[in-house]
Amino acid sequence: MISEHRGPLVAGWLLSAPAVVVVAAFGILPTLNILLEAFRTDGTPSLANFQGLLDSGLAVQSFWRTLRVAVATTVLTVFAGYPLALMILKARPRTSTIILMIVVFPLMVSVVVRTYGWLVILGPSGIINQALLALGLVQAPLQLVRNEVGIIIAETQLLLPYMVLSLIAVLQKVDPHLEEAALSLGANPVVNLVRVILPISLPGLLSGVLLVFSLALTAFATPLLIGGPRVPLLTTLLYSYVFSSYDWGAAAAVAVVLIVLALVFITAQRLMAGAGLKRHG
Amino acid sequence: MAEILRRSRAMLPWRLARLAFLGLVAFWQVFLVAPIVIIVIASFTSANYMTFPPPGFSVKWFAEVMSLSWFKDALVTSLIVAAASTAAAAVIGILAARVLARHHFRGRVVVEYVVLSPLILPGVVLGFALFNALVYFRLEDLGLPNLIAGHTLVTVPFVVRSVWSAMAGTDISLEEAAQSLGANPAVAFWKVVLPTARPGIIAGAILAFTYSFNDLTMSIFLSGVDATTLPVQVMANIEYSADPTPAAVSTLMVGLTFTFFIIIARTVGLRVFTDR
Repeated sequence: MISEHRGPLVAGWLLSAPAVVVVAAFGILPTLNILLEAFRTDGTPSLANFQGLLDSGLAVQSFWRTLRVAVATTVLTVFAGYPLALMILKARPRTSTIILMIVVFPLMVSVVVRTYGWLVILGPSGIINQALLALGLVQAPLQLVRNEVGIIIAETQLLLPYMVLSLIAVLQKVDPHLEEAALSLGANPVVNLVRVILPISLPGLLSGVLLVFSLALTAFATPLLIGGPRVPLLTTLLYSYVFSSYDWGAAAAVAVVLIVLALVFITAQRLMAGAGLKRHG
Repeated sequence: MAEILRRSRAMLPWRLARLAFLGLVAFWQVFLVAPIVIIVIASFTSANYMTFPPPGFSVKWFAEVMSLSWFKDALVTSLIVAAASTAAAAVIGILAARVLARHHFRGRVVVEYVVLSPLILPGVVLGFALFNALVYFRLEDLGLPNLIAGHTLVTVPFVVRSVWSAMAGTDISLEEAAQSLGANPAVAFWKVVLPTARPGIIAGAILAFTYSFNDLTMSIFLSGVDATTLPVQVMANIEYSADPTPAAVSTLMVGLTFTFFIIIARTVGLRVFTDR
């Protein structure tokens, strides 16, 4: 009897031990150590690192800038995500596959390459500015990089696929008869969209919003390349505390802020997705 | 006749709305591929500085890249790191996925959250945390092993999720049949469980390899003096040089990524991305 209960327990822990040990040793324990260091100064417990962040204009600015960028990026992905998701679901299979590929492929391409592309497009001598100058719409090149505008545009491209996938995940389960019924009862396409499709897509929208928002809060390569050290977000601020000013206590405190933000939104997203992890088991 | 005319007039706003919708879809599709396409086109330039549109066609920057020592070194480092971390993540990830898909025991949820935690914790935090620990043990100059450790950490979840969902979809009775016919659990696992989970394993391994090969966040914290990955070098070159060499390297990276993307689309299908 006892062995029957212990068998799965021992086997379960033994087989998962290598993965658990690797993640714990290289990820969780070092992160816990950072958490401890954030609340210590010269070996004694203190809140000096956090007080330092609050007293630093740069850190406070970075915090609000991070939130602004994440909100703007999320809103843009919602507006872009719906047309793409609806098209993928409504188009003929071939068209739908091609659009899906266009949405998914950028996910696999290096963030460095994608951000580099935006530098070429948005830079002072980039395509956008060339066009605006040629058309006489502006007299001098617009400042589209090294500021929040550039970061928001590049992060929208970075995270839009996640929004589309979240919407599709929910919308593809919609019973097509429901829409047919609405249309045959005389609902016009707009009423159908607002009264039938939007309410059904709300769970997907919510989980997409939370996912994109948390990924936007923690994006690193894009703000590093487009914003640079003069326009820091929390992630790039952490990086410059580590490698430029060597203030690792401050870096640890920023890490705590990032972990709290990420955990809050990821947990909410998991709950929204209806404990999606458990569905497999 | 008048009825038809009236109807078609009433249809006009819908036609326009439809056109606007299609235009919107087209715009966002262009938006998604623009940065990638533009880098690829710009890399075939004859100019000596980065510009778009390119004034003429040339492959000279690819020839230039091949002669650069930093490119060869970084490419070799990136390939070694991606291959080693994918192999490590595959082995430990498959075992963990097996446990999550089949075993029910106290603490299973702990295993689940620990193994998937690298997806939840921000990349910069993981990079800084591991770097900080390595500095504490005076191991920060090792380079290659550190990169492999860091990349194994962040790629394990890809293998686990992908293999887990593949195993959850398979029939346990096959494995039981093999065991009742006399195969011991290890043989049954090797001959029955692994082959049935193969699509998930392939997809997980490809996603892990691509993620590692393209990663900047982990690599920028863990790269040493003699072990730097391609994305870190490309980034440094974008910032400090105006010539199109980083574009040529980027095009090669996009080419490799596209090959893997097509393999995934052809073997396991795009469902890997849409099913969650």
